[in-house]
Amino acid sequence: MIENALPVAIGNYVGLSAVLFFIGLTGVLIRRNPLVMLMSIELMFNAANLLFLAFARAWVHNAGHIFAFLVITVAAAEAAIGLAIVVAVFRDAPFVDVDEVRLLKG
Amino acid sequence: MTPLHHATLGVDGTYPLLLGLWLLPLLGAVLCWTFGPQLKAAAGWLATGFLGCSFAATVLSWPAGTQLIGGAHGAHQALLSWLPGLDFGLLLDPLSLLWALVITGVGFLIHLYSIGYMHGDRAFARFFAYMNFFVFAMLTLVLSDNFIGLLVGWGLVGLASYFLIGFWFERPSAVAAARKAFVLNVVGDVGIMAAVFIIVAHVGSIGFGDVFAASPGFGTGVLFAICGLLFVGAAAKSAQIPLHTWLPDAMEGPTPVSALIHAATMVTAGVYLIARCAPLWSASPNAQLLVGSIGAATALAGALLGMVQWDIKRILAYSTMSQIGYMIMGVGVGAYDGGVAHFLTHAFFKAQLFLGSGLIIHALANEQDVRRMGGLRSKMPFAFVAMATGVVAICGVPGFSGYFSKDRVIYGTLEHGHPWLFGVAVVTAGITAYYMFRMLFVTFMGEYRGDVDHVHLPDWTMNLPVGILIVPTIGIGWLMFGGDASPWNRFFAGQFASGAPVTQPAISEGLTTWIVLAVVAAGIGIAYLRYGTATASADAPARLEREAASVPPVLANAFYFDAIIDALFVRTSQGLGRFLGQTADPLLVDGAVRETALSAGWLGALTRSFQTGLVRAYALVLVAGAACLIAYYALAPGAFR
Repeated sequence: MIENALPVAIGNYVGLSAVLFFIGLTGVLIRRNPLVMLMSIELMFNAANLLFLAFARAWVHNAGHIFAFLVITVAAAEAAIGLAIVVAVFRDAPFVDVDEVRLLKG
Repeated sequence: MTPLHHATLGVDGTYPLLLGLWLLPLLGAVLCWTFGPQLKAAAGWLATGFLGCSFAATVLSWPAGTQLIGGAHGAHQALLSWLPGLDFGLLLDPLSLLWALVITGVGFLIHLYSIGYMHGDRAFARFFAYMNFFVFAMLTLVLSDNFIGLLVGWGLVGLASYFLIGFWFERPSAVAAARKAFVLNVVGDVGIMAAVFIIVAHVGSIGFGDVFAASPGFGTGVLFAICGLLFVGAAAKSAQIPLHTWLPDAMEGPTPVSALIHAATMVTAGVYLIARCAPLWSASPNAQLLVGSIGAATALAGALLGMVQWDIKRILAYSTMSQIGYMIMGVGVGAYDGGVAHFLTHAFFKAQLFLGSGLIIHALANEQDVRRMGGLRSKMPFAFVAMATGVVAICGVPGFSGYFSKDRVIYGTLEHGHPWLFGVAVVTAGITAYYMFRMLFVTFMGEYRGDVDHVHLPDWTMNLPVGILIVPTIGIGWLMFGGDASPWNRFFAGQFASGAPVTQPAISEGLTTWIVLAVVAAGIGIAYLRYGTATASADAPARLEREAASVPPVLANAFYFDAIIDALFVRTSQGLGRFLGQTADPLLVDGAVRETALSAGWLGALTRSFQTGLVRAYALVLVAGAACLIAYYALAPGAFR
């Protein structure tokens, strides 16, 4: 049984994943273009995936791989639905800006 | 105590004719009501015909009503059984037979009269529908063999009375009078209802026979409560003080209505109730004293007020009130046969007087003020004869019907140990003679003071009933002549066993008769001197105006009963209503509703402000929440065990 199958220390993966996640989060919060927001969300998914896979390798445990596939599936579904909404909402709009779409304002 | 008819007959007695005579007027009412526009003038004849059949059935029932079965008189028809002890049925015994005969007989004559009187009224069929409905309701009242059936009839006659007082509903005064009558009568209905509650609680049955059989077991208090509450109903229906104020106002109705409902039949329902409940009253001396005193007070008050009226129908209304006071006094103290006898004679002579006054009112284009009449004896000799016989009968002139019955009541008060009531009754007899002859003289003697050029003489449908009524007005009293051997006493043998005299009066019946006659003669004499002589009628218009202006305020305001009732009940109710409507309701009910709505709106406005519709704002909240969650687990002691 190999104790640590990773050539690089696990802390590096965690750090990279955190940086990617916060880049994605910042993108979601500050960008107003829905496509860029979706891309940022993908970035957050992938940060999570990186973490799953790193720990799967580190601990030699396949659950991480399985969760990574699950996340990829969810990300695909999210992208499909998200893009569909974006297309539906902005089909008639002369702009591409989520702040202008406030139909749910109470 | 008298064994009671249907109690021995049981609830399975059958006498189907009773159903017929009871329901025929209802059928007439339904037909007149439904097919009124098609029937037009035929509605009057239809209603009169149905009532005539009902009267014929009543006459045919005479042998059944007086037959002797199981130690008691009468016939019984079971209707339905509701709960154990609560059986409904119809009972025809001498008492209800008498009432049914008067209701259908006098009712028939008054229906016939109405065909002429109401001719041309645009609601001709509606009038007869109401009249037939009234007869049905009154028959329900008197034929019921139980208290609840009686109460149903009691309420229905009140309703019919309301309909008919307010018959000309385009007149605000008629509507007000109808409403007043209805409200005061409902006060009475509530009294009877309360009495029925007590009866059911103590007896568990509503049949007259069961209740009277159980009555010796009642305590004095319970008995007095039942009698007192029943009398509240009787007082309201029979216009006894202090619930009498509706009767004079009820004269807003058409004159035949006044004759049938507010003179001959409905207003005597109280007399019937007390006579029916004779075993209860006889067992409760307190109730006897109360009812006798109120009857006497009403008799006197009605007579005093009758002296100062100028509207011919109001004179008759107050005389009705006064005469019913006599009846209530009679049945109240225990002289049941006397009170009931006075009911019978009064039904005839008062119907006669009202119909007679209707002849005049009809002829003079709805003139009711006697000051604008006068000298009608030559213009309307038949009306004069009719009114004169009625007046003579009501005054108790010997030989006429009122003499016999009033004599029985007056002597009955002595026989049952109430000399004070005797005194009041005698004085009232004198006042009665005065104001009735005053009406007669002012109306028929002297010169005509009105402005109607052509006297419109009524047709035969109006004259015939009045002519027929003259016969019993004069003669019916002779049935009561002859003491215990008289047809009257034999008819009621056993019915009023509890009403036997309790004392031997100090003065004989003959002497009391002479006293009454002297007082009556004095009353007539004073009326003649004031209104009948040639000098009195010389400057009649001016003199009558002067007299009208000098009426004592206490009489002009009818002893302030209206004002007192107004202040005590109407004003307080209105005040309470105003307080509830203008203060309590907006503050409490409306306030609570409004505050609930407002706070919901306020809460909505608050939560609405969070819904910005900005996707990025939501995302920020999401992130902040997640950050808080993570921070909690990261910082909490023991996290990541």
